[in-house]
Amino acid sequence: MATDLQLPVFTNNSENELAGRWGMVIDQDICTGCQACVAACAMENNIPFVGEADAGYGRTMHWIRIERFWQGTFPEVKMTPYQPVLCQQCHKAPCEPVCPVFASVHSVSEDINLQVYNRCVGTRYCANNCPYQVRVFNWRDYTDARQRPELVTLQNQLNPDVTVRRRGVMEKCTFCIQRIRHVEDTAQSEGRDVRDGEVVPACAQACPADAIVFGRVDDPTSKVSKAAITSRGSHMLEELGTLPRVTYLAGGSAQ
Amino acid sequence: MIKKFFDALNQPLGRIGVLITLLVVFSAAVWGIAQTQKPPEQPIQFPHNLHVGVGIQCLYCHSGALRGASPGLPTETKCWGCHQQMAITNTSPLLKPLVQAVENNQPINWIPVAQVPDFVRFVHRPHIAAGLNCEVCHGNVSQMTVYQNPQVLNMGWCLACHRAKTEDNIQNNPGRDPAITAALATKRTKLTDCSLCHY
Amino acid sequence: MSQQISRRDFLKLAGVGAATTAVLTGCGPASRYVTRAPYIKMPEYTYNGLSTFYATTCRECSAGCGLVIRTMQGRAIKVEGNPDHPVNLGKTCARGQATLHGLYNPDRITDPIQRVARGSEGGTKMDWDAAIGIVADALSKNKPDEIAFLVGMAPDHLFDLVADLAKTIGAPAPVRYGALGMFEARTTLVKAAEETFGQTGLPFFDIGGADLVISFGANFLETWLSPVAQTREFSKMRRGQKNKRGYLVQFESRMSQTGAKADEWIPITPGTEAMVALAIGRLIVEARGLALPPAFANVDVNGVVEASGVTLDALNRVAGLFSLYDRPLVIPGGGALGLSNGLQTAEAALALNALAGNFGKDGGVFISPTNPLADQYHRPASGREMQDFIQRMVDGKIKVLFVHGVNPLFELPKKLGFGGATKYVPQIISFATFPDETAMEADYVFPDHHGLESWGYQKIATGSASSVLSGAQPVIVPFFNTKSTVDVLLAAAQKAGGALASAFPFKDEVEFMDSKLASLLNVDGFFSAPEINTFAAYFQQYGGWWKTTDNRIAPSSADVLNRSFKADAAQFDGQGDFFFVPFVSPILGEAGANKPWLQEVPDPTTTIMWNTWVEINPATADKLGIEDNDVVRVVSDYGEVEVSVYKYPAIRPDTIAMPFGQGHTAYGQFAQGRGANPADLFGPSVNEAGDLAFGSLKVRIEKTNKKRQLSRLEGVLGVYGFDSK
Repeated sequence: MATDLQLPVFTNNSENELAGRWGMVIDQDICTGCQACVAACAMENNIPFVGEADAGYGRTMHWIRIERFWQGTFPEVKMTPYQPVLCQQCHKAPCEPVCPVFASVHSVSEDINLQVYNRCVGTRYCANNCPYQVRVFNWRDYTDARQRPELVTLQNQLNPDVTVRRRGVMEKCTFCIQRIRHVEDTAQSEGRDVRDGEVVPACAQACPADAIVFGRVDDPTSKVSKAAITSRGSHMLEELGTLPRVTYLAGGSAQ
Repeated sequence: MIKKFFDALNQPLGRIGVLITLLVVFSAAVWGIAQTQKPPEQPIQFPHNLHVGVGIQCLYCHSGALRGASPGLPTETKCWGCHQQMAITNTSPLLKPLVQAVENNQPINWIPVAQVPDFVRFVHRPHIAAGLNCEVCHGNVSQMTVYQNPQVLNMGWCLACHRAKTEDNIQNNPGRDPAITAALATKRTKLTDCSLCHY
Repeated sequence: MSQQISRRDFLKLAGVGAATTAVLTGCGPASRYVTRAPYIKMPEYTYNGLSTFYATTCRECSAGCGLVIRTMQGRAIKVEGNPDHPVNLGKTCARGQATLHGLYNPDRITDPIQRVARGSEGGTKMDWDAAIGIVADALSKNKPDEIAFLVGMAPDHLFDLVADLAKTIGAPAPVRYGALGMFEARTTLVKAAEETFGQTGLPFFDIGGADLVISFGANFLETWLSPVAQTREFSKMRRGQKNKRGYLVQFESRMSQTGAKADEWIPITPGTEAMVALAIGRLIVEARGLALPPAFANVDVNGVVEASGVTLDALNRVAGLFSLYDRPLVIPGGGALGLSNGLQTAEAALALNALAGNFGKDGGVFISPTNPLADQYHRPASGREMQDFIQRMVDGKIKVLFVHGVNPLFELPKKLGFGGATKYVPQIISFATFPDETAMEADYVFPDHHGLESWGYQKIATGSASSVLSGAQPVIVPFFNTKSTVDVLLAAAQKAGGALASAFPFKDEVEFMDSKLASLLNVDGFFSAPEINTFAAYFQQYGGWWKTTDNRIAPSSADVLNRSFKADAAQFDGQGDFFFVPFVSPILGEAGANKPWLQEVPDPTTTIMWNTWVEINPATADKLGIEDNDVVRVVSDYGEVEVSVYKYPAIRPDTIAMPFGQGHTAYGQFAQGRGANPADLFGPSVNEAGDLAFGSLKVRIEKTNKKRQLSRLEGVLGVYGFDSK
């Protein structure tokens, strides 16, 4: 007897690929590298801090980080424009096919990459295969107050909408899916569609320079779609064909 | 050494020993699982049947279900709103914990029964908006004293319902309307998406 | 032996193992035995399971951004910006986001305590009645001029109360101080505006309206004045104009985070900013073929080129930008003003603005709006005023010292001697929320609520074009046995009796606030109300009250260019080889070190977390044989610190730089004993305006042959050998 295992099927629907659903535009010309998004993301998504030693070993749990590189030597030295790097929510995500337990699956309805914590067994294949290095791994029980007594009071701050992850679990930016769901639910209860700009991820909400715009990329009238139409726009590591949903607007002197 | 151990197991006595061990392990497992399904001891043996019996709506106490994720537990002010007017409140030994809690301004530490694991986000509102009555999932509470789950609240159970409600069949689409078929397909994609509950 | 187990046997064993595991771990959800404690009495406006949002004001720095705090079941969960608030328009910075780590900090002072001995850990717990008694005695049993109040930078309701209190009893006016004010050299800025315009007040630079911004050391995207507002304005300047992209030029000796955003970053010898500004002015006038005004007549351009290390080409290019752009704006600030010639720098920059003709115009210089309570801008104390204050302590003229909202033992440079002066003060009462250095040295600590647990208002000094009074309210019930300092002082005034009691007949903090807010009844603004209860309700609901008009004051520009400006090279103390550039950590600020998540937010330029570093040009480091992570001793005439090296490409070879924010000797587990404090190197010299000339230092570097790894976000090779402190 053949059983339908309901396994996810990888489809090749090119129309769908281009349309996408949720997307983000980050303007590097006005990003000041202030790290407000980094802190806001941590506070919203229950991201643990790991301490100095683990941070030094590269085990920080930031879901969004701000990259910058040096060019040249003094006095002709320049810093490349600050670039906030977060999960690019690729349509063809390299992290997805390598997971042996289907913990990194593609959300068909939202067209983003998911990390299903309860499925994850911590092989870290996905992180190895991610060209953007945006997946972070819980090397220890960073959220366990029994092991870290300093957390007992701090845990009052945890967001009840977001799972607290345990050791051995991979995690990454979710485009604040809890906020998407909340807004969708509110809109549904009021009998209307979700308005453009109604879903605001924590990073975009905090950004003092308004460098981050979020919204529906399949709606050409949305703010994010309009912001992406510029000669300054590009995708990170576009040549890999991952179809990322984050568009970067070049900084520096580009017009 | 290990060979000797297996040789010993092959003797009749050894086989009986293995059988007994397996039986013990199996019954312990059954007992353990049964324990997890038993309704826990509550600070007050709250008789749901009585309260539903006098005509109190579920949403009167668990009003959050109408608006958001969690139905919530009633505050003591809500209990006391009715109970302070009732003579039995001061006489019944069963109500003593309530009186004490109110007098000492202490919270009542209820133990949640109908709950999902930490990595699941369940929102009541859309379920009620979709026309589900409380008893569809929670059983006939008017027959229970202390609440217990009528079934195991696991993902298979959730998905079975989500699939049933979005299947393109005579119930959901009596007129075989292609528009409804498409809408059902979209809905099905969403209702079976991991990101619906896991984040 | 192992080869004797067949695969079959192995499976048998494994099967038994699996069954046992299933039993032992249990099959139900792990959180099954969690209990839920529902509200006893739920506030009427909350709903089960839904968030409640409260508008309040951020107290992490004195900028006073409006916040909306998401709370759930009585817990504060997320900080969001207040979209209506004119200062930040719904935005926040990293420090604001991490304010919850202050609220729920495990090291908070939980009860009022009396120290057994100054500097000792812990102390005897007291009850609040006894604490109020002690404050009442301190207020009534000492001679009025022997009572001193030292409060933080924020001009809030506590400051108003303390000012009124001091006036009533005849004590000296309270002194306001904060390290940010010192590093901004605020006094110098205010003094320059006063001398240039003849008007008092904090200058307001309309960055958003400008299309060319030339900054002399102003770190306006980091901690300077009102960083969130300025970042928004910067974004407007860069990309908010039609068909034109704003241009930023930054003159500084070490590339700051602001400098990293500059289109042109021009390294400059520290202390030559004033002459560079005047030289640019002269070149502009000459290029336009105008008569040379006295302001720029005295400057020798070739001399400036030699002294500053800026090429003539660069000066000409920047001068040329003035003709290319319509609305140039010149901002002096930050480290450039904290030098012996800081006042000259500020004035020279204002002269350039006068040349651009931008006073009181869009994209120009204004005076910040006066606050709605219509009192004068009250600037924080300068270095000289703090020196006078410490002298009064040493002379035994202060018998009781009240400290609130500031940590002078950390925020004042060691050399000024606050630490040594405390022993001449018989009684120190601290109202600190956290066990900071000053609270450790106090005889009594009567902890105030955290900012998110307390009422209040704050007069906004700058950052918004309209006049703003920001409102604060508790978003959760106090987490510990703390008490609002305003309530303590009011109760103490009642207990002291006499004139004090009759001057402050307020039941509590809220009643006191209402008495101040009463002057805003029926005034046109964001909302108006005819009576106080309605007004106060709106005030809390919207997070403050503000005018909807532009209240910036246009400065008089009469004759600025006809004045003559001096531009001396700065004086530097010490014989070292290196100029020293201390800067406030853009992430930690002066008091962020106790918040673990702020510690783990990487520094924007170096990406270092959890520690202090010294920035050295790679070429210099190679010459000295110093590698990344080598511990060096930085020595000035006044002190020394040991700190790990970060080879920083964008710093002059003759300059080293260090961030301020770490190096605490107390302040809780996340801050204590971590990093080093550059202020330990500062000397006592002040500039003409009275601000501490903290950058007027020459230091030397000594190798120690030790190594201490810095945790960096950027990729590094060989990441081993970390220790946790």
